[in-house]
Amino acid sequence: MFARRLRALLLAAVSVTALAACSATPAPVPSVPTGHATASASGSRLPDPHSLTGPSTARSVAEVQPLARSPRATLPVTVTDVRGRSVTIADTSRILALDLYGTLADTVVALGLGDRLVGRGSSNTLASMADLPVVTHDGHELSGEAILSLRPSVVLTDTTLGPLSVQEQVAASGVPVVFLDPKRSISSTGDQVRAVAHALGVDAAGDELARRVAGEIADAKTRIAAMAPADPARRLRMAFLYVRGTAGIFFVLGKGSGADELIDGIGGIDVATQAGITGIKPATSEALLATDPEVILVMTDGLASTGGVDGLLARPGVAETTAGRNRRVVDMADGQVLSFGPTTAAVLLSLARAVYEPGS
Amino acid sequence: MTTPLPRVVRAPAVRPAPSVLPRLARRRIALTALVTALALVAVLVLSAAVGQFPLSPEQILASLLRRAGLASADPSQAFADGALWNVRLPRLVLGALVGAALGVAGALMQGVFGNPLAEPGVVGVSSGCAVGAAAAIVLHVDVLGSLTVPAAAFVAGIAVTALVYALSRARGRTRVLTLVLTGIAVTAVANAAIAFLVFLADAASRDQIVFWQLGSLNGATWTAVGTVLPFLVAGLVGAFASARGLDLLALGETAARHVGLRVEGLRVVVILCVALLTAAAVAYAGVIAFVGLIVPHLFRLLVGPAHRALVPLSAVGGALLVSASDVAARTVVPFADLPIGMFTALVGGPVFFVLVRRTLAGGSGGSGGR
Repeated sequence: MFARRLRALLLAAVSVTALAACSATPAPVPSVPTGHATASASGSRLPDPHSLTGPSTARSVAEVQPLARSPRATLPVTVTDVRGRSVTIADTSRILALDLYGTLADTVVALGLGDRLVGRGSSNTLASMADLPVVTHDGHELSGEAILSLRPSVVLTDTTLGPLSVQEQVAASGVPVVFLDPKRSISSTGDQVRAVAHALGVDAAGDELARRVAGEIADAKTRIAAMAPADPARRLRMAFLYVRGTAGIFFVLGKGSGADELIDGIGGIDVATQAGITGIKPATSEALLATDPEVILVMTDGLASTGGVDGLLARPGVAETTAGRNRRVVDMADGQVLSFGPTTAAVLLSLARAVYEPGS
Repeated sequence: MTTPLPRVVRAPAVRPAPSVLPRLARRRIALTALVTALALVAVLVLSAAVGQFPLSPEQILASLLRRAGLASADPSQAFADGALWNVRLPRLVLGALVGAALGVAGALMQGVFGNPLAEPGVVGVSSGCAVGAAAAIVLHVDVLGSLTVPAAAFVAGIAVTALVYALSRARGRTRVLTLVLTGIAVTAVANAAIAFLVFLADAASRDQIVFWQLGSLNGATWTAVGTVLPFLVAGLVGAFASARGLDLLALGETAARHVGLRVEGLRVVVILCVALLTAAAVAYAGVIAFVGLIVPHLFRLLVGPAHRALVPLSAVGGALLVSASDVAARTVVPFADLPIGMFTALVGGPVFFVLVRRTLAGGSGGSGGR
């Protein structure tokens, strides 16, 4: 629930700035982490992460890579979706994959079915989807006429987008509408990939992609283990702060927000979880001082909107933390850092590099 | 939101209507009704023809014929049929129903309060609905699927109206001023509850609440139409039945009692009708501003204060205003669905201003406030 709340919060903001973020991103790192420089493999060459100072930016990850072979669909397929309805899909030639995070469409692309997508939501910011018609308006509200005008043969969606009655309008018009699980986390990535693949009749491709994603995540964790301190007591103390603008939008993300899994994934200690903070809580100076992070994680556009590192440090309590004194602020693209999907491994790796080997 | 005029209590603001309408007045009413109804039909036809799904008039006609069984089924037109029958037509019908409900509710409120500034919000029904909707959205209640938020809004709207009425009752009767003031007090508490719910909400829910409060007909379904219709019919029947009583009430409470009107009974029936009509409309479409205030006002200027004419005309006029606003909401900005409340207020604000100026300048028009 909290993870969903948070990502809803983030993505709502992201959607506004997504295009700007995309055009501003530097050369992306490959999403399949193969053939990477050897530096990260030898932990001994890295500096002591506790002694590092200064801000760094995680590189944006590349677009998700489709599977090498285009999948063969076995249709029709009948699925029972998360709303408990039995839906039969007979044709996957025109797919709409709509959710608040953009993960469903990413997964369709990763399965090698990206050329069958006929439209997108405002969260789908992949360059390959930029030319597709948008079926949301007023931010994230779906439009029944816009969806039907694309003549989809199947719609994959979840409860993070609505109004629900629009999805019902589409279903009533005879289009199979499959609701998938709205939860997003590192551990559920494989299940979600398989669920999407199953609804499109490409179970074999789903298994292959799930294995690939799991392999990438395991590989990323191995690389990260080489970068992060091995001794649990020596791990970096991190806090993920959600900041936007110069007014009241300043929160610390705690247990269940998704940030806890992210920090754990890059071998850090989530000080907010340690301090008993659950969900999203205002980042008061007392909360910051009580948690005293060594590294502050933020979103790139969020950081820029508050006046960069200096603006962040000007907020009460930030400059007094260890991270504040050392200006250890690590930022990553708003739309990527907490979107758990087929690119999770690349996100973890990119963020870990920015934390442990900044400037590399 | 609504400021009670102190003088309301002392003098009935709405002029009493003669019990038999003169012939000239009747012709005027018939003409107004005809023009409004024709305009409504024109707007509805236009509304059916425009939208994001490209549908030619021939396609619409063919689809209507297919639905009526006069033409053979055409699988290639499945999406056109879907867009027309599952998206556009329910929206069109719901818009007209919501407008009619709000227009009639406004006419009733102005009649029973004897105040041209009264609108359904006065008895707390809109803010009650908003509390119910916001609570259902924030707490992620999902017991009735897409009916959850409308159901919560409707129940809360009726409950808050009942509360306002119960609180303003003293010694077996209510006074208009007490009702208005109680409505303001309860609305303030409801707004506090909404503020708290917005504070609790995550960003997605917050967006949903904001857009709900702006009003929208997006996502209208035949289920919505089917659930609104009985309440609208009940409210309309009650409204027509009360029309003569409201005309008598315009003579003043004391005078009305002398001619045998059971004022308290009338008040209960009218407030119940207002609550039913408004809650049913607001539950699905969100708060659509100004319809209940402006539509009856306008027709009172055109045809005079007799409720027997005012109530049905307000129904047609409300449907016209909301349907026209919805066409604008869907088409003014391509590929956007603007808040419909924005358009009704955009039309309503200036019209209201003109009305107030005319009234203050001592012009006729029967809207009172002398």
